[in-house]
Amino acid sequence: MEWFSFSPEDFSYAFLSVLMEGVPFILLGTLLSGLIDQFLPSRTMTRYLPRNAFLGICVSAAMGAVFPMCECGVVPVIRRLIAKGLPVSNAVAYMLAAPVVNPIVAVSTYAAFRGQGAAEFVALRLGLAYAVAVIVALAVLNLPLGAVLKRSVLASAALEPDAGGGSGGGPLGRRFVAAMHTGIRDFLDVMLYFVFGVAVSSLFSTAVNQELIIPLALNDWLAVASMMGFAGILSLCSTSDAFIAATFVAFPGVSKLAFLVFGPMMDLKLLFIYSAVFTKRFVLGLAVGLFILIGLLCVRLSVLGL
Amino acid sequence: MNSLPTRLMASATLSVWGGVLTTFFFSNRIASYLHPAFHWGVLASGIALLALAAGSVIFPESDASGCPVKCQPLWRLSLSFLILTIPLLAATFVSPSAFGASAVRNRGIVDNLDQIPAYSPPVEPPLPQADGSIGESTAVNPSAYLPKNAAGQIKVETVDLLYASAEPTMREDFENKEVEVIGQFMPARTGNPDGDRFNLVRMYVMCCAADARPVGVSVQGQADFPEMTWLKVTGKATFPIQAGRRTALVVADSVEEIDPPEESFIY
Repeated sequence: MEWFSFSPEDFSYAFLSVLMEGVPFILLGTLLSGLIDQFLPSRTMTRYLPRNAFLGICVSAAMGAVFPMCECGVVPVIRRLIAKGLPVSNAVAYMLAAPVVNPIVAVSTYAAFRGQGAAEFVALRLGLAYAVAVIVALAVLNLPLGAVLKRSVLASAALEPDAGGGSGGGPLGRRFVAAMHTGIRDFLDVMLYFVFGVAVSSLFSTAVNQELIIPLALNDWLAVASMMGFAGILSLCSTSDAFIAATFVAFPGVSKLAFLVFGPMMDLKLLFIYSAVFTKRFVLGLAVGLFILIGLLCVRLSVLGL
Repeated sequence: MNSLPTRLMASATLSVWGGVLTTFFFSNRIASYLHPAFHWGVLASGIALLALAAGSVIFPESDASGCPVKCQPLWRLSLSFLILTIPLLAATFVSPSAFGASAVRNRGIVDNLDQIPAYSPPVEPPLPQADGSIGESTAVNPSAYLPKNAAGQIKVETVDLLYASAEPTMREDFENKEVEVIGQFMPARTGNPDGDRFNLVRMYVMCCAADARPVGVSVQGQADFPEMTWLKVTGKATFPIQAGRRTALVVADSVEEIDPPEESFIY
């Protein structure tokens, strides 16, 4: 069985389809980031979040229930929120949790796992994603900002005024123009990483024989690790990935859970998109940390008989 | 983004993307890439990007917005333009708007109901009418609601037959009945002991072509076509037990090549 067969036509077809699916969400996120830049007064977020760091992280990780964002659109938003004074740990909690802990994903997961313990899967997926986001954010809380944020993001955060309206001020029309330019800059910036990520994931999803992973389903550890690897390669949208996960019937439930929690937090395209905000070292550490943390938690959950 | 060249460069990038997205929508090429639920989002994004492209040229940003931090040098925007537009345009020209045989082989043909993402059979009897009566024989006679071709053969999708193979009540609707099914030709490399079978495949999509799964049924009949040729098969639907599992097999009366359908996916 041939494991790799590249076809430029298949590659470009998958590449275009993921780009077309993702661009509307990225555009929405970047336009929102422009509006946040100009119209959200600095430090507003911190004013309304609990002062206790742990509680603040817990609230931030749950904000996706009210402000749902997909994993592509959330990155420009948190970049702007960080510039507006949102603590990085809170931003990371929101960034990791929002693509999963939201009503849209709950409904799609329930629909996908009909007849396979849908309610349990929804509860475990959202609960585990929330827990992982909080744990990672608590770890970030103890890291120096310079080790987490890219220098340019750090600089923009440092330059934001401490109070008042958005960063622009002035007449409404001028602020809308400034918001538009900010949105455009963010869009072009994030799209660079998105295009690279989609290219890599399209290569894997069309050229690599996916039937080769079936033998990995026989062992919980291997199944969990391989399903997370698969989620990372496929780079699916969190609103639809459950429908794909549900079809891996040969794989144990815990490995599907790992797929559903790990994928929206870290995949090939996100590896590149995160690099628009965070240092390369942090992104790599996040990828490895999430892989290990989610893997261990999911394997432990196998006692539930999933 | 204050100087005219930088604004023009950003505008050019946005214009290319906006142009491609709107062209895909208005030419209906988008139907071969995304689930219909996403089509309007593509159009809205395309229009928004074209508007932003125009707006970024017409309305320069004021200096009060902190240009030293935010402005990108022209060389970076030029590089960004190349990276963002060349792959997009190249893929637009190269992509045949359909997967080829190697992608189908790499993904593996789905011939088991368990491997199909949550799918609902599209055909259901109508609800009771306004006067409370049940629609004409719909609840008891499947022929009243199953669509048929001019020759009276039931028009089915590959995925319907897979469902029927697993669900006895649905199987009764099709078993030993004459059916018409369309799909793409793929040689049968397994489960073909006598060498007289091939697979008929349709791409089943949840969101976009990237998550498409090739859903196929076996067809018994002689066919020698290039891989992924669109075919219309008519014949008898059967559901034999093979290797301990009930499968869908169409015993073909006729196999003919057809033009690709307007809607190549099933959802």
